[in-house]
Amino acid sequence: MRFLPLIVKNCLRNRRRSVLTVASLSISLCLLGVLMALYYALFFGGPAKAQARRIVTRHKVSIVFQMPIYYREQIRKVAGVEEVAIWQWYGGVYKDSRDQRNFFPRLGVEADRLFKIYQDYRIPEDQKQAFMRDPAGCVVGRSLANRFGFQVGDKILIKGDIFPFDLDLTIRGIFETSEGSDEALWFNFKYLENALHDSSRLAAGTFTLLARSPEDVPRICREVDALFANSPAPTKTESEYAFGLSFLSFLGNIKVILMSICGAVTFTILLISANTMAMSVRERVREVGVLKTLGFQAGTILWLILAESGLIAMIGGAIGLAVAQLLCLVIRQGPAIVDQTKTLSIQPPVFAALVGVSLFIGVASAIAPAWSAARQNIVDALRFTD
Amino acid sequence: MSDLVISTSKLTKEYIRDEFKVVALRDADLEVRRGDFVALMGPSGSGKSTLLHLTAAMDRPTSGTINVLGSDLNSLSDSAIARWRNRHVGFVFQSFNLIPVLTALENVELPLKLTHLKKGERIQHAATALRLVGLGERLGHFPRQLSGGEEQRVAIARAIVTDPDILLCDEPTGNLDARSAQEVLALISTLNKEHGKTIVMVTHDPHAAHHAARIRYLDKGELLPDGSKPQDWN
Repeated sequence: MRFLPLIVKNCLRNRRRSVLTVASLSISLCLLGVLMALYYALFFGGPAKAQARRIVTRHKVSIVFQMPIYYREQIRKVAGVEEVAIWQWYGGVYKDSRDQRNFFPRLGVEADRLFKIYQDYRIPEDQKQAFMRDPAGCVVGRSLANRFGFQVGDKILIKGDIFPFDLDLTIRGIFETSEGSDEALWFNFKYLENALHDSSRLAAGTFTLLARSPEDVPRICREVDALFANSPAPTKTESEYAFGLSFLSFLGNIKVILMSICGAVTFTILLISANTMAMSVRERVREVGVLKTLGFQAGTILWLILAESGLIAMIGGAIGLAVAQLLCLVIRQGPAIVDQTKTLSIQPPVFAALVGVSLFIGVASAIAPAWSAARQNIVDALRFTD
Repeated sequence: MSDLVISTSKLTKEYIRDEFKVVALRDADLEVRRGDFVALMGPSGSGKSTLLHLTAAMDRPTSGTINVLGSDLNSLSDSAIARWRNRHVGFVFQSFNLIPVLTALENVELPLKLTHLKKGERIQHAATALRLVGLGERLGHFPRQLSGGEEQRVAIARAIVTDPDILLCDEPTGNLDARSAQEVLALISTLNKEHGKTIVMVTHDPHAAHHAARIRYLDKGELLPDGSKPQDWN
């Protein structure tokens, strides 16, 4: 502690350089923080509390293949399954498909079962009842409603592309959720039944199940898949959390991509910091000689330089962490690629990892110049001219 | 403890510069007694500073022995030498070598940070040293806010703050104007006469050297016998 004032004053010796170094560290560590938070949320965070009991069953080959709707009743009989609901992807075109801002998920759902499974989704009771009563009714998420200015009672026309008919819907309600994505339109599955005329053409895109408890989820997944293992439409059943993550795999190996970016960011910061520390120490070779003349030992000199670099890195890390937390807040407000981004934050393990990375950068970037300075001969150091 | 503070025998220092061996100091025998004030004089490259650096254990000799305050410096480890230097030797540089980001008080306090003194005691000692060199009103000034003479006096305060047995000065007036040089020399003389400090001072300046009780000359790396000086020396 007695050397702290000296360390702080050395950090402030060249203010512009220190500020720029701290700024570059902050920006890099902020980026690293958000990436690590995302990585943690996706692969270590686990499902949100409300999501923990939900399971999704899809066709084993691909989600684009359909399953017979009678699967629902067989799945319902599996021990521990409280509710099952059909989901059917409609697709379609809203206004103009060339404008990507007009894209949002449009799904046929079983209105009477839906909110039993999605108990964390909030919708006024009268709107929910209106939705269930109206075969041509739909509900939209709050974010989607805000984006397009939708109001209850508005008409929406979706042109069919997969299905040979259009959807002429009336908004009956607006739902909200704090943890999942609410950028979606859900219409009544009965609309599909009525429009297709032929019930044999009806099929389910996916089934969403509600398990009695999170502990039942793995067993239910196994038992449901076993039910249809030898059928023409075998299933793949997994937690809703895992189902959501499977969409990410379309983008590639997200783990490798995130880890590669994190590694590149860390290495780049290390180079920037090492360059700065090398310059800083080089400017003070004579002073190192003076300190040694006064009786400072090589170990003390080494420690002083490492502490200085560590302090700069920790300040950069602290600012980066704070900005990363703010960025996570912004990401939480944005559209959700997966549900985990709706609760994105700097969790304690990520916090600890970032502090560790900051400290590592501080020490690793200064170790070579600090070691060199500490071992410098006094007379050579005093004669040093930059 | 013996009255003999510094004793060197056949002290030699060789450097390798661009593959060539350079003998900076050859077979130097120097004895300095407690309370002595010795000036080392000689032309550039004669080995004055080398002898001073070896005396302060800032460098290791190639051969020969050096005994300072009863310690055989060749036998001490680097860390032991650093502790020994902090406790027993004060060093004054030609170019002051103050730490620019520290105030005068903080510069003087620096060697005390290696002692067991508490902060309050360190500050008190540093302030006392600065008052002793006549800078009691300049404690909070940074080196850039001081004149050359004042900077050197801060450097002297830093050198004496640990109350060392020996004060080694390497051209202490080399960067000063005549008036400042006179003030610094008067201060060094006072430290010798009134405070009993043993002083070895390297200088080019005959006027400065005359403040010393004894003058020893070096020439081409050789310490000349007491009382003799280089033939071409004016």
